[in-house]
Order: sequence, then structure tokens, then C-alpha cells
Amino acid sequence: MDIAEKQAAFEREALIHLDVLYRVAVRLTGSAADADDLVQEAILRAFRAWDQYRPGTNARAWLLTILRNQFVNDYRRRRRHQEAAEEIAGDPNAVFMSAREVDPTGAFFDRIVDAKVLEAIDRLPEEFREAVVLVDVEGLSYDEATQVLEVPIGTLKSRLFRARRRLQRELYDYAVEMGYIKASAP
Amino acid sequence: MSSSPRDISCHEALEHLYEYLDHELTPEVEAEVRGHLVACVVCTSRFGFEEVFLKFLEAKSQAQGASPELRRRILERLFLDPDVPER
Repeated sequence: MDIAEKQAAFEREALIHLDVLYRVAVRLTGSAADADDLVQEAILRAFRAWDQYRPGTNARAWLLTILRNQFVNDYRRRRRHQEAAEEIAGDPNAVFMSAREVDPTGAFFDRIVDAKVLEAIDRLPEEFREAVVLVDVEGLSYDEATQVLEVPIGTLKSRLFRARRRLQRELYDYAVEMGYIKASAP
Repeated sequence: MSSSPRDISCHEALEHLYEYLDHELTPEVEAEVRGHLVACVVCTSRFGFEEVFLKFLEAKSQAQGASPELRRRILERLFLDPDVPER
């Protein structure tokens, strides 16, 4: 493949995923500037490794794997404090149990603005956050997410479950505080 | 499939809650859960609530994509400088 062909193929199959890569990078790094750098480095790395990509396979998952490895190697170790997911005491109870008397259809969720949801995602421990970002935000299948995160499927399911519980609880508490839903009697 | 799905308990249905909503179950297990939901109003309500939550989460977490500036910078690095050097 000559360089023009390689560039055309890369643009067609890889660069169409630039927005996904950027959105994931923002959630991983927590900053737009770091996300810019991370995406740029990951894209250049992917371009150099392009002959290892098998055309027609899942370019999105392949690129996200490169991005995430780049993040783990270059960014994560620089962070001051890592909250280990394993150290967090017990998972909160399902919000449904609290909300079912007053709002069993979860209508209160709709009143919560996007910024609050993103903030809540950003506060999750990293292992939970990356699972939520890939599956819930970007719509990857379990199979794709396990490929990107390099974890067994059981680990992914457990992280998703716990992450969703925590997000629900946090957003429910916020909704109660804002008066979007009445707190249930204890 | 000719045989009807196996009856499962609320507990068992709930164990598959997210896999069901994420469409990650095998057709057989999915049919079991669906069969349970037809028969159980409590679980239907619970699954419905969780489904609303997941849709809400997806809808409200769609942040902006890459800036035009980043896109331009990347294209420049890639295509004006084909021997993208190793870092």
C-alpha cells in the first residue's frame, strides 16, 4: 500500500471515529487540553500501526484500545491520587427501592441537566468510569468493551453494575436535594 | 424455538437485569426473562425504571466531540508529514 492509499484508508476507517475518541479521552483525563494531547498521540500511534489493523474489523474498538493503553501508560501514572474501586465500601441500594413509592417510572431523571450527569460520571473511580463511558455513553457491546479494557466479561459486568448503582444513587440524591423528587420515608 | 421458555424466579430475572437491558443475553435466557416480565408486575416496574435510567444516562452524557482545531492539527501531522516520527 503506498502512502496515499494508506492515508485514504486511515481517513476513511479511522478518522471517522475521532469524536468518539475525543469524548472518551475527556472522560478519562478529566480535561479538554489533556484529551487533545491524548487523542493526537493515540491517532499518530494508530497511523504508525495501521498495517496491524485488519480492514473490515472493528476499527472503533481497535482505536479505543490504543487510546486507553496510551492513557494508562502516559497519563494515569502521573495522577496524584487514585481512588481504588476495590476499596470503596459496599454498593448503594438500588434507587428503585427509594423512588418506587413516589416516582416508579423514574420521571425525575429527566429534570437533571447534562452537566450534572457528566460531573457524576467524572466522580466515579476510574475503573467504573471507563466501563460506563464505553458501554453507556458510547454504546459499545460487552465484547468490545472487554477488548478495550482487557478485562474478563465478569469483571466488566460487575464494574458496570456497581458504577450504575453509584450513579443512580448520586443523581437521585441530587434530585431529592433539588426538589425534583420527594424523599421516600426511611 | 418450539418449547416455551423455562419459568424463572424474580431473583433469577433480576440477576439478568442489565444484561437483558443491554441486549447481551443468549436468545434462550432472554426469552426466559421476557416470559417472567409478562407474568410479574413488580419486575416489569423494576426493569422499566432501570431502562429509563439507562436511556437517560445515554441521552444526557453526549458531550462535544473533537474541536475543528484538533482535527486540523491531526490531519496536518498525518498527511503533511507522512514520516510521522516516533516520539
